[in-house]
Order: sequence, then C-alpha cells, then structure tokens
Amino acid sequence: MDALLLSRLQFAFTIAFHIIFPSFTIGLASYLAVLEGLWLITRNAAFKTLYLFWLKVFAISFGMGVVTGVVMSYELGSNWSAFSAAAAPVIGPLLAFEVLTAFFMEASFLGIMLFGWKKVGPGLHFVATCLVAVGTLISAFWIVSANSWMQHPTGFGHTTSGGLIATDWWAVIFSPTFPTRFAHMVLAAYLTTALVVGAASAWRLLRDSEEPEARIALRMAIGMLAIVAPLQLVAGDLSGKLLDRVQPAKLAAIEGFWETKARQDFHIVAWPDRAIAANRWELSVPGVGSLITTGQVDAVVKGLRDFKPQDRPPAFLVFWAFRVMVGLGVAMIGLGAWGVWLIARNRLDGARLFQMACIAMGPAGFVSVICGWIVAEVGRQPYVIYGVLRTADAVSPVGAGQVSASLLGFLTVYAIIFSVGVLYILRLIAEGPAAGADEPAPPIQRAPGSALAAAPGDAP
Amino acid sequence: MRDIIEPPPEPGAPLPPLWKRLLWFVGLAVLGTLATAAVAYVLKALLPPH
Repeated sequence: MDALLLSRLQFAFTIAFHIIFPSFTIGLASYLAVLEGLWLITRNAAFKTLYLFWLKVFAISFGMGVVTGVVMSYELGSNWSAFSAAAAPVIGPLLAFEVLTAFFMEASFLGIMLFGWKKVGPGLHFVATCLVAVGTLISAFWIVSANSWMQHPTGFGHTTSGGLIATDWWAVIFSPTFPTRFAHMVLAAYLTTALVVGAASAWRLLRDSEEPEARIALRMAIGMLAIVAPLQLVAGDLSGKLLDRVQPAKLAAIEGFWETKARQDFHIVAWPDRAIAANRWELSVPGVGSLITTGQVDAVVKGLRDFKPQDRPPAFLVFWAFRVMVGLGVAMIGLGAWGVWLIARNRLDGARLFQMACIAMGPAGFVSVICGWIVAEVGRQPYVIYGVLRTADAVSPVGAGQVSASLLGFLTVYAIIFSVGVLYILRLIAEGPAAGADEPAPPIQRAPGSALAAAPGDAP
Repeated sequence: MRDIIEPPPEPGAPLPPLWKRLLWFVGLAVLGTLATAAVAYVLKALLPPH
C-alpha cells in the first residue's frame, strides 16, 4: 500500500472514531438542558437524577471527543500538508472560528455544569447548561460549513502560487449544500442521543419496570424519535436532491446508475462494480429512480459512465453505506411509531419486546452517522475539494513506512482508549441513574453505651 | 466521578448572595477558558517551528 491509501485509511479510521462522540454530545447537551429546565419548572426529582446521571456520560464523551478531534488537526499537517498549504486560507478560518466560538464556550461552561451548581445557584447553572448546548450546535455549524465548502466550493479564487483564497466569505460559509447538510447532521445527533437514552432506559426497565427515571427517559426518547426521525427523512431527501446539480457522480454512485437516461430504475439492492462499469446484479423498481432522486419522473439523471474512470467514486461502498443509513433511518421511524402506539395504549412499561428492540437499536444512530459520512466523503472521491483538488494531490510527501507506523500507533492507542471509555460508559448505563443519586445516608443513631455504638453505620 | 460532580442545592437551602454567585459563574468560566487555552498552547508548542 502506498502513502496515499494509508493516509486515507488513517484519516478514515480517526474521523470515524471521532464522529461517534460529537454526534452523541450534540444531542446529549440539548437533552441535559431540557432535563434541567424541566427540573426547574416541575421540581420533579427524577429529572434531577437523570440530569446528574447523563452529565457523567456527557463529561466522559466530551473528553473523548476532544482527544480524538485534536488528532485530526495534526493529521491535516502531517498527512495532508499539500491540502493544508493550498486550502488553509479558506478552511483555516472556519476551523479557527469553531475553536474560538464553540469549543472555548463549551469547555468554559462545562466547568460550571460539573463543579458549580451550589456555587452559582440553579438559575445560572441552567444558563451554563444552555450555553454548552448552544456551543455544541455552533461547533457543528462550523465543521459542517467547512465540509460543505469542500463538497461544493464557492466564493474562492486562485492565487498566483496555486493556492486558494476566499473572495466572498458569505459564499464560503453558506455554500449551497450547507443548510440541508447542517440540518441533517444536527437531527442525526439528536436521533443518536435519543436511541442511546432509549436503549439505556429500556435496559433499566427490563430489570425494574417501575423505575421512575427510566420510565420518563424512555418516553422522552420515544417522543424525540417520533418527531425527529420523519424530519430526518425529509432533511436527507432535500440534501440528496441537491446532488443532481452539485455532485452528479456521487448521486450516480449512491443509486448505482451507470447509464445517463430519463426514467432511471430505482435499485433497492445491487452489486455496483467499477471494474465492469455496471451492476453485477440488481433488484430494481423500474422507472422511479429519476423521481426519487430529482422529484421528476422524466428527469435525465447522469450515470457513472458519463464520467472518466479516474473521476468516478468507489460505487460499491457509497451505494451500500447509503442503504444501511436509510434502512436504519426507516427502522428508527418504525421504532418511534411503535413506541407512540404503546404509550397511547398505556402498554409501554410492560412491553418487553419493544424494550429489547430499543436496546438493539441503541447503536443504530452511531452506525447511521458513520455510514452517512462514508457516503459524503467517499462519494466525493477522487477529490478532496470537489472539482478543485484531487485527493492524490493533497497528500504529504511522506513515505508509506512513516504512515504505516503512525497508523499502527493510532490503531493501538485508540483500541485502548475507546475500549476503556466505552466500557466505563456502558457500566455507568448498566448501573442506571438511580445508583448513587441519593445523598449519603446519615449515620445511624444508636444509644450511647450500647454494644454497637462504636460500629460504623453501614455495618451489618 | 460521583463525588466530583456537584449536585444542586437542597430544596429550601439558602443561596449565596447574587454577587457571589455571579463571581463564581464568571470565575469558573474564565478558569475553563484559561485551562483550554493552556492546553492549546502546549499542543502548539509541540509543533515544530517553521
């Protein structure tokens, strides 16, 4: 393997690990704000218990997100220096704004969330929680803005030395695909969190169907799923419909289209093969592919054969990543509808099959997010900045041995960090919100001079 | 972790005066910013000079 492929593997590996954490913490921060707000309004202790429980998970996930994110900044310099040299005047400020406006905000007010409830009082603590939640959304704004520019670059020019320079910052920040992609990412984060909260609550209810915190949290997760999952379908569809105009090769790879024609078939499943420039086999619905991808039955949609072989993205991976993402999205809609139906019939707490389904769907948000990013990033190939800079021209002049060594290091370190972090989070979730939520019990009062007067309070 | 995270004040417990709470709010936020900035400068120092 050459340095280019190894560098791509390394970035894919590190970013796939990283995206797990922000996609969870974006939703979790908003969930914490809702929990604290509800506790302030109702003074129901269950909301406080849930808040304190999910705050622990948030703090660990936030820390792991930071650690795995910092690595990628270094990779831009070490493995993708040609990209950084060319695109830094455009991309650099967007990433800097993310750090200055979002990360600093989150990191600053997280301290108050963790250590300052009694010191600042409930009102100001709630303000801090809301600011952290807003900070996560601002963070998503800048990262998706930078990535959207790489997907469809606008508002830039070329310098005499071959670099890129921004000529219109509004066009750079708000490139045409940005609004729908931002909505798609934020909704994905909310869904990811709802699924994890739902799975954790269902796990607790399977053990104790009367646990008040788990009952409340499962209902909140179902409400979020029922509202957000269908919205996500709409956001994804709007985002996808732009592809026909801005990234037709990616659209053709997603749908397994090889020939340019009107009334494309919709391939439910297929085996796209770049080697023969066709699908080896396919199961299709005739004539509706154009309608689904563009909204018009007779629209002519480009096929991959319209692009030179060296300009085609890897169709198999993009095609199947998209189908896994959409399949799980449909399952999320189904889970939300099933949960609402059970709530309406007042049968949720005893519905063991539904609770087991919730547990099974717990990781679905993470899988969908990673698949979605595979569609976005692999579908953009062979470009790193679509139509402007090829991935092969963006890599650093480093040897395969150097990249292999760092990749091996990442695999080892991440395996340890990830295993430890996730195992700890899973242990916390298994213990549940009620564990340790109460203040320590006061010492047992025994009569002076009695036989057990000197024994510790928790002695048998 | 259980001991580090500060729970809310007990219901009915008297709150510190507003100026003290605001001071804690600003102080903890600034401390968080400074801690983040310190880590950022350490990471920057690890980069080789141009």
